[in-house]
Amino acid sequence: MGLEGEATDAEVVRAVLAGDVERYAVLVRRYRDRYARYASRMLGSRDVAEDAVQDALVRAFDRLADCREPDKFAGWLFLILRNRCFAERRRRQRTERSLDSTDEMFAAPDRPDGEYEQVERAHALQQALQHLTPEQREVFVLKHMEGLAYEEIAGVTGATVASLKMRMHRAYDRLRELMKEHL
Amino acid sequence: MRTIGLALPLVLGATLAGSLGAQDVQARLGGRVSPEVQRAVQVIAADAAAHGLPVDPLVQKAIEGAAKGVPGDRVIAAVRALAGRLGESMAAVREAGVAAPGGDVVEGGADALIAGFSGRQVSDLVRVSRPPHDPALTLQVAATLAALGVPTKQAFQLVQGTISAHRSPTDLLGLPGQVQAGVARGATPAQAAAGLARAAGGTPPGRLPDWVPPGQRKPRNPHKP
Amino acid sequence: MTTGYHPLVKRLLDGELSLAELPPELRVEGEEALRLVGAADRTPVALSSALEERVMATVRRHAASPGNRAWRWLNTPRDVELRLRVRPWTVWAGALAAAAALALLLGRPAPEPVPGAQARGGTRDSVLVRFVLYAPGARRVAVAGTFNQWDRGAAPLVPAGSGVWTTTLALPVGKHQYAFVVDGARWVADPGAPAVDDGFGRRNSVVAVSALGAHL
Repeated sequence: MGLEGEATDAEVVRAVLAGDVERYAVLVRRYRDRYARYASRMLGSRDVAEDAVQDALVRAFDRLADCREPDKFAGWLFLILRNRCFAERRRRQRTERSLDSTDEMFAAPDRPDGEYEQVERAHALQQALQHLTPEQREVFVLKHMEGLAYEEIAGVTGATVASLKMRMHRAYDRLRELMKEHL
Repeated sequence: MRTIGLALPLVLGATLAGSLGAQDVQARLGGRVSPEVQRAVQVIAADAAAHGLPVDPLVQKAIEGAAKGVPGDRVIAAVRALAGRLGESMAAVREAGVAAPGGDVVEGGADALIAGFSGRQVSDLVRVSRPPHDPALTLQVAATLAALGVPTKQAFQLVQGTISAHRSPTDLLGLPGQVQAGVARGATPAQAAAGLARAAGGTPPGRLPDWVPPGQRKPRNPHKP
Repeated sequence: MTTGYHPLVKRLLDGELSLAELPPELRVEGEEALRLVGAADRTPVALSSALEERVMATVRRHAASPGNRAWRWLNTPRDVELRLRVRPWTVWAGALAAAAALALLLGRPAPEPVPGAQARGGTRDSVLVRFVLYAPGARRVAVAGTFNQWDRGAAPLVPAGSGVWTTTLALPVGKHQYAFVVDGARWVADPGAPAVDDGFGRRNSVVAVSALGAHL
């Protein structure tokens, strides 16, 4: 059992495809939290993000035979999750759920009093993000929260670097307006 | 003198049976398991046989462990644990009034225990198995339902309901396949079992046997103490 | 209406310029912009600990359902007949087994076993049972169990196309435990059969074989 942690993604994928369903738990454990921040920021709620991550992991299992490069399972899973986040967004727009609820987003209870302003600003930014278009929100989250470079974001989203920068610059302006009281 | 004379053949008889059993075990294990495992299993098997427990499942378990490449001490532990289960099963079956149960009933009881049934439930399953129902089959079906994911309490009620609705042993044997069919259509094992219980006309799961459907109960005066 | 950020400030936010490289009149705006972007919460988010078990419970259900749309690893319609997995549990004689499985796939109730039907090819005391495993990544597959002393070489499966492996064995009447052995080393339970604890930390599958009219 101690060897499970050393198996590569490709090895685990092959084992699952060979019929060892239980080994999939290794991948679930490995990736359950990796994209949690992305999903939370995209969807504005940790609970909704948890549903999305859960669905994505199940869907990745269902489609495992389609994973052409098993050693790139991480990126492939991310794409599934990304699609799921965008679909969630469309679904919520149809049901007109409030986009302002950013529940349980922040683990900031340990900050000293002097940083109250910072916490407020962080909360305001999170709310403001929900008012961007999904594409604008995504490029902001990927660059300023996940730390990806424009080239990497282009690889993930399929957009060109030029169009990503245009989206981002519009996002900066929109955010400035939404957050003017907190800056 | 006479007492000893009577006693001797019995003792001899037991030893003879024991040594035949031991030879049989040796023959089946030889070359398939390590000498250490073989020695230990022979002792466990002899002890089990002396208590009237079936030996075959113990031998099978040892061969299985060796074939799967399990370390010797774990194989021995598993065989010992299985022997313990067989013993518990024997006690539960005897508790239900079967004085000298056959090997298949004891094995069925052990399977049920391993699947999560309590000793009490095993006794109850044996008790409800009136002819033409063979308790070994009842236990086997119950254990398989549990192995499919049906909660033990529900599995018990489904089996009991099928028997008391005077269904045939064939119907009983078909229950696991029907649960599986229900699961294939999208139900959970518990839901599939509940559906079958309703269809069998047995006690609905979760209710007491004397549950009266609404509308058939005499209205109680709420003001009476 | 707030004005947008100066293009140079935006390049600052993009990481292409440093604050020192901004013209002095843009410094204040630059610092404000950095406060905005600096408010991004990079704290890792932890999801609930129950997530893993919920995912695995769903995954196991999907894996056990033969016709479940969600577990379509085979995409072409022509593979429908290959997806037909004869459930080894409680297999009746010969042709009825295939008919029952087909009926299951098509959603119709299985036909009642006809009294008096003979086991095809087997003796009175044994019944033919077909084992199927979908394992597209495997190089070889065998089935081992109580019926063959857990010998992983005794009953190899053959590839039937599209990643499906199969074999048919004559099993004596009774209850059997078994598992598939993939590539000689990996023991895998049959995802569609009832599973029991094997006592060694893994799970075995169970098949009960009965001839018509006999009790076990």
